[in-house]
Amino acid sequence: MKIVKSTILSAACAAVLAFTGGNYAMADEPESFKIGAVLPFSGPYGIIGKGMKQGAQLAIEMRGGEVLGKPVEVTWEDSETKPQPAVQKATRLISSGAQMIFGAASSASTAALQGITEQRKIPLLVTISADDKITRANGYRYTFRTSNTLGMEIRMALEFTKAAGLKKVYGVGADYAVTRDGWDAYKAAAEEAGVEIVGIDYPPLGNRDYSVIIDKISKTDADGVILIVTGSDGVTFLKQAGQAGLGKNKVLFGPVLQDEVLAAAVGPDAVGAASGVRYHYSLDNPANKAFVEAYRAKYNEWPDSFAGEAFDGMSWFLDAVDSTNSWDREEWVKAFEGSVRENSVEGRKEMRACDHQALQVGLWGVVEKGEAPYPDLKMKITNIFQPDVLFPACEE
Amino acid sequence: MSTIVIGLSMGMLLFLLAAGLTLIFGMLRVINFAHGSLYMLGAYLAFQMVSVTGSFWAGLVAAPIIAAIIGALMERIALRPVYDRDHVYQLLLTFGFILVLDEAVRIIWGLEYKQMYPPELFAGAIEMFGSSVPSYRLFIIGFGAAVSAALFFMLDRSRYGMIIRAASGDPEMVRTLGINVSLVRTGVFSFGAGLAALGGAVAGPLFPIELGMGFNIIIDSFIVVIIGGLGNIRGAVMAALLIGMTRALGYSYAPSWVDFLTFILLIGTLILRPEGLFSRKGRTA
Repeated sequence: MKIVKSTILSAACAAVLAFTGGNYAMADEPESFKIGAVLPFSGPYGIIGKGMKQGAQLAIEMRGGEVLGKPVEVTWEDSETKPQPAVQKATRLISSGAQMIFGAASSASTAALQGITEQRKIPLLVTISADDKITRANGYRYTFRTSNTLGMEIRMALEFTKAAGLKKVYGVGADYAVTRDGWDAYKAAAEEAGVEIVGIDYPPLGNRDYSVIIDKISKTDADGVILIVTGSDGVTFLKQAGQAGLGKNKVLFGPVLQDEVLAAAVGPDAVGAASGVRYHYSLDNPANKAFVEAYRAKYNEWPDSFAGEAFDGMSWFLDAVDSTNSWDREEWVKAFEGSVRENSVEGRKEMRACDHQALQVGLWGVVEKGEAPYPDLKMKITNIFQPDVLFPACEE
Repeated sequence: MSTIVIGLSMGMLLFLLAAGLTLIFGMLRVINFAHGSLYMLGAYLAFQMVSVTGSFWAGLVAAPIIAAIIGALMERIALRPVYDRDHVYQLLLTFGFILVLDEAVRIIWGLEYKQMYPPELFAGAIEMFGSSVPSYRLFIIGFGAAVSAALFFMLDRSRYGMIIRAASGDPEMVRTLGINVSLVRTGVFSFGAGLAALGGAVAGPLFPIELGMGFNIIIDSFIVVIIGGLGNIRGAVMAALLIGMTRALGYSYAPSWVDFLTFILLIGTLILRPEGLFSRKGRTA
């Protein structure tokens, strides 16, 4: 009897709490829709923060600056490309009433933000961090990623290996866990596809001298070199490889090796390097054309991957919020998971309910010389891979 | 054999990166945390000069001169008042320089990567011992050797070197001989800043020029300085070559252990010969 009594009492309490909680969300309609953006504006990823901010700002502007009939108010905070400041700033933003968090750039910072957003039940919009663990099946309820995963990019590299007819491949990966996992996955699938793996080297992350490794690779009969490195590491490798002429008889490629920002840093030695591309302004669809036109009019530059992905993610999320006509964050989560965006700037995207990862096409391109009005070095999109070969089912 | 050539170039590059740090520490007893930022400034200044003039050599000459002037101002305005205080004030001050220099670079050049290329004379690669060795690497070996020889003769054999060493060892005595010790110190800091910038200009064609690039080399520079013996130019050359060779062999046989091997060298030195592997008592040059 006692048990029954306490159960009824608990249920009643829960009902009261749920009711008042729901009422709170409905009744306490804020003056504005507050977004807390935690992006790197300084540190190694400073340039990423700049592109993301410009893309997200344009997304808000192009919808008239409003969501749910209220003005959108964004507070921009600098994550300094480090997890600790990112968490501190997100905590402060949430305390000041942020209804969602947008960021960060490095996967480590994003993972740190996931802790606080899950705890406070605030949606976290991720548009650049690629670590697969950020979106995993039955993982983070409040995290949504609208951009690529590293796993997807590794699979693109594999598809490219097959499409380019490469028979022998040498690998170079920055020495950390995500890269090693990526290499293991690539190696297993490549060998299954009949590609011979000639060797693998793991220089430290942030390595400054690749000359010995480049020399080693040049003495092998590999016809392709997969570089699972990004940012400055990729730039350093390609600069030094160019000076030794490595790219003359070997195809240099990588899942996130190059985009126009990085190609500009390498210079002419980047020409011919192939890479996964997260977003590209040349994609031929009405949504992208409208975005690129507006972006160029506002900023007088071509949108980079960071801007394109941020624009896409922010537009999509805010549309999902608008569709609920509610200030209840749980409703937003329900509306976003499983939603389909037919008119994304990268074509169709589908937010998978099981892991909150957007299924989308994968873009692959090669660096080539550009002519005005394009940058001196630009990515030419050579392959578009379909989601069914890039995303394993959620159970895996 | 090609590994040895590459190891030599790696060592000489390390020496060029660390020379300014060891000079300032050896002569002024100041641990200049801003060394990396001055190196970064040198790379950006060289990039700017190359963009304007189209000549790599103009960048190589101008960047150290401009950085030396900035270094002289830094010493005169900020560092001189704190020489008499505890070392921690100097550390904090040079840390402050990092923030100021980094922010200045961000405001002037922005966040985008910049690039520099080797001069036309050293743009290609040369076939050596069955390998394609970039000729710019050979230039680094020669240039690094020339800089180390010039530094050695200046500090160890010239009258200026004698004054600098004397001012470092017993400033009061030197002052009574009618030499302006403050000016000597300004000159040394300025020269060290110029050397840091020279390292940046030489490294420009090899690494991406970006904000924060100084942070990447400051640890390497400290390792060279500690293994070589604090303030010991000859030691710095030997230590840089030792580390360069260790790394070249490491990359050949076990790339993921390269950092480990470097730190083992450092720890071994600190345990067995904390004054530096190549130090002799009383030597500062």
